[in-house]
Amino acid sequence: MSQFLSNYRDFLKQATKSDKYHGFDVRALVRVEPMLSFLFHDWWRVEFNGLEKLPKEGSALIVGNSGSFLPWPATMLLYALMSSRVNPRRVHIVADMDWIKDERLFASFLELGFVPFSSANMKRLFAKGELVAIFPEGAAGLARPFSARERLIEFDWVKLLPAVEEGVPIFPIATLGCDEAIPVLTNLDSIAKMLNLPSFPITPFFPWLPFPFNLASLPTKWNMSILKPLSYEKAEDRDLIEETSMKQSQFAEGEIQAELNRLLRQRWRAK
Amino acid sequence: MREVKELTWKSLEKLKDPVKAFSNRCPLYYERYAGKEDEFGYSLETFAKWEPLFRFLYEEYFQVEIRGIENIPGDGRAILVGNHSGLLPLDGAMISMAMCNLHQNPRRIRYLSTDWFFHLPGLSNWVKETGQVRATKDNAQKLLDAEELVGIYPEGIRGVGKPFNERYRVLDFHPGFVQLAIATQSPLIPVATVGGDEIFPEFVNLHKVARFLQMPFFPVTLGFPWLPAPLMFMPLPVRWMINIHKPINLGYPAEKANDRKLVMKLTREVQYEIQRDLNKLLRERRSTLTGWDEAELDGELPKP
Repeated sequence: MSQFLSNYRDFLKQATKSDKYHGFDVRALVRVEPMLSFLFHDWWRVEFNGLEKLPKEGSALIVGNSGSFLPWPATMLLYALMSSRVNPRRVHIVADMDWIKDERLFASFLELGFVPFSSANMKRLFAKGELVAIFPEGAAGLARPFSARERLIEFDWVKLLPAVEEGVPIFPIATLGCDEAIPVLTNLDSIAKMLNLPSFPITPFFPWLPFPFNLASLPTKWNMSILKPLSYEKAEDRDLIEETSMKQSQFAEGEIQAELNRLLRQRWRAK
Repeated sequence: MREVKELTWKSLEKLKDPVKAFSNRCPLYYERYAGKEDEFGYSLETFAKWEPLFRFLYEEYFQVEIRGIENIPGDGRAILVGNHSGLLPLDGAMISMAMCNLHQNPRRIRYLSTDWFFHLPGLSNWVKETGQVRATKDNAQKLLDAEELVGIYPEGIRGVGKPFNERYRVLDFHPGFVQLAIATQSPLIPVATVGGDEIFPEFVNLHKVARFLQMPFFPVTLGFPWLPAPLMFMPLPVRWMINIHKPINLGYPAEKANDRKLVMKLTREVQYEIQRDLNKLLRERRSTLTGWDEAELDGELPKP
């Protein structure tokens, strides 16, 4: 704990002031910090660019592509923002969490800084000047097959609606490597329906190996880059807001996909 | 016996006069362009001669599935914008075939193509006569002022030589086409083509050989430098899908063509629309060779 205090002093100052309505607990972060640090620095060697683009204070929305099988990009973003020397900030990760029936699991997600998706929740966070991240592909992104890796699934524009209503700046973030870290071979819909899960992906590890090993991943090289914010005008009219939201979500998706294409070309053509 | 002889004679006649056969098959197209002089060297005879080959590719070999052909106007200026693919740029030819055979008001598409084709000794005339035009701003403006349908692949020649692992990953579009569309007040029609990038799987691009031979790229494919001449250009029988989007009327005054920021933004929007559609079509595709399920395409079955 003391080590954590000295390492993350700036972050803790910020986190103590931040919104804790949903049960955020720094002690949970202290517990998982060694694992996140190992994954970030040693396992995936994440190359993080564009952190200085984020505002130091005030609300902003980060929109990204979700990796396959587990929401690792969200936690890596959390860690990157937490450990940054330049711009340490707490990020609220908004996600669809209704399918988590186990209360303890649900609570542990909330302790890390996850927030269930709803328009009211997001607006409240924006009003308090918090940094929010969202991964609008949702559960479909987690079950993305390996053959379609680094190809985005259409963004759900409704998830950008609260941000557009409030006129909050939107930053796309592209994550390369998260789809290859856990190759999803296939998705069994019938079993997912039976177990009331959004998807049931089969990976080389997942249902086969005993518990901690079935969540294993491959040590791929990750590249995360925050892109320049989308430019749009805050509208008052309801129809206009919806149209803007739809357009901006499509544009954000395009920006992320184009950045992924660029990064992939760099990777393949590097000598 | 007599009948058989007559049949063979008739088929020989057809071979002798491809223009007549073409005029019987596509009378509207023939009437529209027969006997008209063209500034850029279009020749209906050459087109009619080569049309059967490309129609065979369209109908039998690639079994192209086309959606939204009615979005292309039968008259008036318009710009087709697409993702380029396939080493030999057959994607343009396939859309031309659809416009010639399936459209209500069949018309030709004038593609703006790279200078390299016009320097080739054997090919330069053929490229001109089948309707391609050297890609310059003046030429494009002239064509649009003559109310023609202009095809542009803003990825350029880099887009044709994509390696196999980069298939359907659109390169950043050159913003010239938006500038042109604003300056000439013509609608943009985005076209997404799936299939073109897999007909010639390019494993390696030998830059040094390409530079030595002054070619835009020198690919190594399944057949290319290895097999004897006609076989090395043999494409794989991949199922194609061409999705033509609704025309976009930009609606900006012509002076805005020099507003670089606006032009860049519109370019990116068109690029992202095409990339998004490619991702969607690839997600719906069952396999490379058989393509899409008919029932799914018609929207009868819910998607998985």
